[in-house]
Amino acid sequence: MVSENEITTYLRQELGEDLIKASKTRERRVSVRIKPTALRKAVNALQKQYPTLRFMTLSTVDHGLDFEFLHHFHVDGAVVTLRSVKPKEDNTLESIVDLIPAANFIEREVADLFGVKLVNHPQPQHLILTKDWPDDKRPLRRPLEGELPPQARPVAEALISTSCVAPISAFMQKKREEAGLPRTPPFAFTDEKTMEEFHGIMKDTNLAKKAGYDWKKKRLRYK
Amino acid sequence: MRIPSIEIASRKVFEKIGLETVDLPGYSCCPEPVVSRLLDKTAWLVTSARNLALAEELGSDLMTLCNGCYETLVETNEVLKHDPEELRKTNEVLKRYGKQYTGKVKVKHAVEVLYEEIGVDRIKQQVVKPQKIRVALHYGCHLYREPEGEDIMRKPNMMKELTRLTGAEIVDYRLERLCCGYPSMQADEEFSLKQRLLLKLRHIKEAGADAVVLTCPACTIQFEIGQVMLKRYGVQYNIPCINMMELLALSFGVPSKDLHLELHKSPVLRLAQKMEAM
Repeated sequence: MVSENEITTYLRQELGEDLIKASKTRERRVSVRIKPTALRKAVNALQKQYPTLRFMTLSTVDHGLDFEFLHHFHVDGAVVTLRSVKPKEDNTLESIVDLIPAANFIEREVADLFGVKLVNHPQPQHLILTKDWPDDKRPLRRPLEGELPPQARPVAEALISTSCVAPISAFMQKKREEAGLPRTPPFAFTDEKTMEEFHGIMKDTNLAKKAGYDWKKKRLRYK
Repeated sequence: MRIPSIEIASRKVFEKIGLETVDLPGYSCCPEPVVSRLLDKTAWLVTSARNLALAEELGSDLMTLCNGCYETLVETNEVLKHDPEELRKTNEVLKRYGKQYTGKVKVKHAVEVLYEEIGVDRIKQQVVKPQKIRVALHYGCHLYREPEGEDIMRKPNMMKELTRLTGAEIVDYRLERLCCGYPSMQADEEFSLKQRLLLKLRHIKEAGADAVVLTCPACTIQFEIGQVMLKRYGVQYNIPCINMMELLALSFGVPSKDLHLELHKSPVLRLAQKMEAM
């Protein structure tokens, strides 16, 4: 019987940097966190190494900001789960039906219930919802939202983006100047290098991630 | 920072009493004590420790004008001084940016610095224009925070005594210790305004106060903006909300026009002009 350790070692070897974390969660259970782009590569690797590989099912969790896809496989008496997390703005799931035909129905069920678009699925029609079911109303899909309640969102957004929860408006900067004060106090946001440092801390700790901050758009991913 | 007149008044007061202060270059939000702490404790600690490390680099202690900043910095300082594992984890992040905190900085509220470092007598000497008004005090919840000792009224009593030095008469309104509602604004606006601020305003008015004196800019914002927002609920109050530093500056003879009190959202300037005309 193949051991849990052998499975994780093999996948680490095959996936390299595409594997984020692999661990034995309990007896005969292996959890493998992979980059979402490496899903097919991981399935291929499992098929190549384990001829008796059996696809069990796909479960999906809507975390508010992200979808977590869990592809469960049976490998020689063990359950191996490939976990991949995708931002909901992406809203796609790459089909593995050409590799695993048994994934056909469950992928369509996930698409129906969560409103995820299937990529390269041979039959992307509704499975359990009616043909005229509205695209914007899916039974298990939550709104795109992070952990913060609405009133706390501007505070977190301002803190992460500017290092200050109450940025000084242009009007107030002018008023400060008229009053003989510098336009702004020597806050981190007044210096580019210092801001890089502050943003580094926001990234190194979990604050920006937990708040759901989009570094490219410089705002929270949700309103 | 959002109410520059408090900064102006503080600088004028420090100058008059001979307290040398240095702005902390590159500092960030303390960080604010509600959202960041609940969201991620490590981020809260590291961000705050970065500010403490900046003060340590300068070889200075840290004084704050804001009660919220005071609480965050005092609490994180306590954690970092007494929990070696948290200090190690915090420094692990700070070291990536060439910084380190060793726990040498003392965090003090401006009220403490005035009372303990400068002293009542030196401040009294500067009072040339006693302010003949009746005021209600709002200490602000975070001013009760005592990192060492159990006397939570230590700093509020200092604030009381410092306010008396300005010549103001303090009226009791029985709800001094009630929160102004600023933190709960982030969760429930109506609760914050009606179950917190409004109760205070009603009692302050009934006690016959001409103004409310505060030490915390965040509480000041809640009192000032809150009075405007309460109009939506059919309630009208327009009580001047003056910072203790502004009151001290006025009593030191600083003209109201030099303090830019017009930047307040409550009639502080009108109150100051009225007192000047007395």
